[in-house]
Amino acid sequence: MNIVVCVKQVPDTEIRIPVQNGRIVEEEIKQYVVNPYDEFAIEEALRIKERFGEGKVTLITVGPERAREALLTGLAMGADEAIHINDPALEGSDAFATARVLAAAIKKMPYDLILCGKQAVDQDNAQIGIALAELLDLPHVSVVTKLEIAEDKKSAKAEREVEGGKEVIETTLPAVITAQKGLNEPRYPSFKGIRMARQKPYTVWTLADLGLKPEEVAPQTEVVVINPPPERKAGRIIQGDPETAVKELVRLLREEAKVI
Amino acid sequence: MSPIQTSEYIHELTLRECIQCGKCTGGCPVSLKTSLNIRRLIYESLISDTVSPESHEELWDCTTCKTCTLRCPKGVDPCGLIVTLRGALVESGRIPSTVRDALKSITVRGNPLNMPPQDRTLWTEGLDIKYILEEEAEVLFFPCCMGAYDPRVQKVARSLVKVFQEAGVDFGILGEDEICCAHEARRLGEKELFEGTVEQYQEIFSEVKAEKLVALSPHCFNAFKNEYGELPFQVLHYTQFLADLIKQGKLKPVREIPKKVTYHDPCYLGKQNKIFDEPRFVLQSIPGLELVEMERCREWSLCCEGGGGRMWAEGTNIEVRLSHERVREALETGAEILAVACPFCMAMLEDAVKTLGLEEKLKVLDIAELVAMSLG
Repeated sequence: MNIVVCVKQVPDTEIRIPVQNGRIVEEEIKQYVVNPYDEFAIEEALRIKERFGEGKVTLITVGPERAREALLTGLAMGADEAIHINDPALEGSDAFATARVLAAAIKKMPYDLILCGKQAVDQDNAQIGIALAELLDLPHVSVVTKLEIAEDKKSAKAEREVEGGKEVIETTLPAVITAQKGLNEPRYPSFKGIRMARQKPYTVWTLADLGLKPEEVAPQTEVVVINPPPERKAGRIIQGDPETAVKELVRLLREEAKVI
Repeated sequence: MSPIQTSEYIHELTLRECIQCGKCTGGCPVSLKTSLNIRRLIYESLISDTVSPESHEELWDCTTCKTCTLRCPKGVDPCGLIVTLRGALVESGRIPSTVRDALKSITVRGNPLNMPPQDRTLWTEGLDIKYILEEEAEVLFFPCCMGAYDPRVQKVARSLVKVFQEAGVDFGILGEDEICCAHEARRLGEKELFEGTVEQYQEIFSEVKAEKLVALSPHCFNAFKNEYGELPFQVLHYTQFLADLIKQGKLKPVREIPKKVTYHDPCYLGKQNKIFDEPRFVLQSIPGLELVEMERCREWSLCCEGGGGRMWAEGTNIEVRLSHERVREALETGAEILAVACPFCMAMLEDAVKTLGLEEKLKVLDIAELVAMSLG
């Protein structure tokens, strides 16, 4: 079974994103991680491979040189090979353009299942999986918290969270599935594993390798401005004995904060 | 994961020397509360060709206090077996999610606490501290990730800085170039992360012209003193350093603290590095302070359960906590203050005091805080 997992490298979720003059100051971002939802996708691919005792897990990313770290992390978790699409023409690419590039690359390889994170935590577009399914003309189930591949590997049953309940969807394979938190608990990519990962097959492709011209994958959207969230105001301590303080707190919650 | 071959480690850990006397398990503090039986684990390794660490959930209960290794009459290292088996789990990636996140955080952010590296020096706000890579200083102060980020331990680090300043110590810190020493990572089985960190520090330390490194935490102290190979400076725990300053007359605690105080020996300072007297000497130099001992003190000190990576691994049987037992022992002495000298002991014991609702009766304070309180 050939499983392709789309991976994105994103800024570390614990850092504050430096914003200046309506733009993100990329040079100031020092730490990057694998998009956490993509980790669920990688883990699920590995579990499927382990369950069937055969198969190949291929990671694919579109990103600059530094995105190599993310692929190595995924390889350290146990993926078999990685494809890195790195082309200067893709700088400032948007979600749809990225999906086009990914689709062109995935068409070049055998696949029975495509797994993505439900969204990347940097831009929060949540478009790649959906766009990819459309471009490859495949069925698609999003925000999946449980995935069962049939014995014959021809179909899958997926559970997804919906308001107030869960939905169970059956689909034929190949299909695109996007992973939600809860799907699994990703394994740890050990230090040794990351070192060994450098020996696994690693292919770098440019747009030319995919037979794409830069204008074919030009972004169709433009980020006009990025504004950081307003700074959180300092807390307030209400003085006085509990009886009056509680009254004052309720008054403030009702009249000032307007939350009750 | 596939089971590991016992032949890979039994020679290195000299397990064949084991006579199954059981002193290891007899001395093991967590064997009081969980199924961890280190003697039996050694036996299993000796009689089988392979061991499946995955079937031993209790491997994550060990605090690496090392009582087993220190008491073994045959010089076997049972504690090393736990770390080896954890190592196999780390390599397979199948580890508790809290351990995974701590290890990943050390790799990405240089601290196990999921904190941004950019915030590493926020604890120094308002204190005038040299940045040692730009300004030379005699002493390199190493506050530990806990001192840098944990709000409670930040107070300890700040107290220590005040004490240094009062004694006229010429000191500096590595600031944002400081990263986790990876002592706990090594004990969680992530040996390669530790080795990578040692390499990083060799480079950083080659630019530091200090005479001494003074560590706030016994864990960092143990790493630098015993596990980092040759370093260009002397490595001290801060209690040793303060004891020297007091003996030289550079530091004089003058303000009375008329309280009964008992001292909890941290495993990595006491039983593992035999530093028992200096912390007591520092406490006794405080006017008015009466030091009382718990029955289990010095080599016999009961582990707080915060070491060996246990800050990030709950372990089994969480209903019973050694820290609770320890706090009860402290109360039995009639002490009003439980003095500690380790950030993990601070976290575990203070938590125990709160959980047991004993805040009115017993206060957990670091020796550094007591000294700072006693300054003129």
